[in-house]
Amino acid sequence: MSHGDVKSTRDTIKSENQQRLSPGRLKADEFGRAVSKIAVAQICESVGFQGFKESALEALTDILVCYLCDLGRNASFHANLAGRTECNLFDITRALEEWEASHGFPSASDIGHCLVGSGTVREIIRFVGSEEETPFAQPVPKFPIHIPTWLPAFPDPHTYIHTPMWNERASDPCADKIEQGRQRRKAEKALLQLQQRLVCNGSSGTSASLATDAEKEKVQGGESNPFLAAPLQPGEKDVSLVVSPAKLTDEARKGDHVSMLEPFAPAIEAMKGGPSDGGKLHLPEKRAAVHFKFRTGKKILGEPLDLGLQKKGERGTTAFLRNEERDDKKRRAEFILRQTTEFPMELNQS
Amino acid sequence: MNHNPQSSDGKHDDDSALSDFLASLMDYAPTIPDELVEHYLAKSGFQCPDVRLIRLVAVATQKFVAEVASDALQHCKARQAAVVKDKREKQQKDKRLILTMDDLSKSLREYGVNVKHQEYFAGSPSTGIDPASREE
Repeated sequence: MSHGDVKSTRDTIKSENQQRLSPGRLKADEFGRAVSKIAVAQICESVGFQGFKESALEALTDILVCYLCDLGRNASFHANLAGRTECNLFDITRALEEWEASHGFPSASDIGHCLVGSGTVREIIRFVGSEEETPFAQPVPKFPIHIPTWLPAFPDPHTYIHTPMWNERASDPCADKIEQGRQRRKAEKALLQLQQRLVCNGSSGTSASLATDAEKEKVQGGESNPFLAAPLQPGEKDVSLVVSPAKLTDEARKGDHVSMLEPFAPAIEAMKGGPSDGGKLHLPEKRAAVHFKFRTGKKILGEPLDLGLQKKGERGTTAFLRNEERDDKKRRAEFILRQTTEFPMELNQS
Repeated sequence: MNHNPQSSDGKHDDDSALSDFLASLMDYAPTIPDELVEHYLAKSGFQCPDVRLIRLVAVATQKFVAEVASDALQHCKARQAAVVKDKREKQQKDKRLILTMDDLSKSLREYGVNVKHQEYFAGSPSTGIDPASREE
């Protein structure tokens, strides 16, 4: 049934009300008023009207809302008067009688009668009996918990809602270890390249840098105060350059110290494919068990590097050194095995 | 003031009628939805967990609005009858019953609600000064 040209149909009311509701925040009670407007239109239609004027419909909606609020207020007033907080049937009846008093209802003149036989209620019963049932046209969603617009907005939900967090990272000890080793080898290779470049730059000129390096190593190996040692003259230690690395390596081996050039020497030789310098010829002979101390706080870190280095320096080792190496290798392998069995957590904590 | 035994029987009848009515309310779906009624009653301090009472309030409100609307309809029909008597050719056009502010304010007057509608809006301050120029 159309509501005439002066008023849109019920569906359009709902849609335009929804359009009004969607942008921005909800104005005070707009949703309730929209729903009431539809209800009023339905009631008028059931009475017999075929069209409405917009202003008339709005006025009647206001009336309905006021009536509901007044009824509630009156009923709660009567309940409080009786010392209750929850209203019951009689509170509603009293409130209704108050309303109807001006209009008049049957048995209004009876005083002191039980409210059960109240005229208003009987009228309502009659009304319900006579009226045909017209349920509400649209499904009404659960009423929104209305927050007045003048209150500050809620913070972001993630600040107060705790949602469960799942640790998506699947830890695989073997893969982690392999990855670790691979990364260390990469770092080591980069370091070697850098050293090689430095050495190249140094050796292209004089052997002074080498001398100074050797001197530094010697000093470190000798455990004497490097600051108290006399500075070397350039070219002074030319002869001793050949000799000192041997001494140094022995000392290094015994003392387990880190020497700068020496560990890179085999790798450098491997990369260069043959020494270009006299000084370097001697270096590949030295195969020391070098202990890399990268100072990352984990024992396991140093081990794969040593293995890698030793593998590289396998060629041309002396028998003397080879034995030591083998022992070292065995030691390393045992250590690694122990690590994987005893400290699996350490591997994952990288 | 004394209630005779007959009235006590009547009271029992009333009791039973009322309880029956309240039970029947659960089947009846008022035009005003329950959620709306609950919302406005909660706003005014009405607290009741019983759904039947909510339905009762909804039905009472519906009855009230229906009465107002029917009164306005009577006014509208009366006006149309008066008009039709004068101009028969406009009978077709005036068949539609439209709720206007006029009828509504008249019917609400009887309920003690004063809804006065602006009769006209003046476009300029000089409107209506010269009554002779206004068309009747």
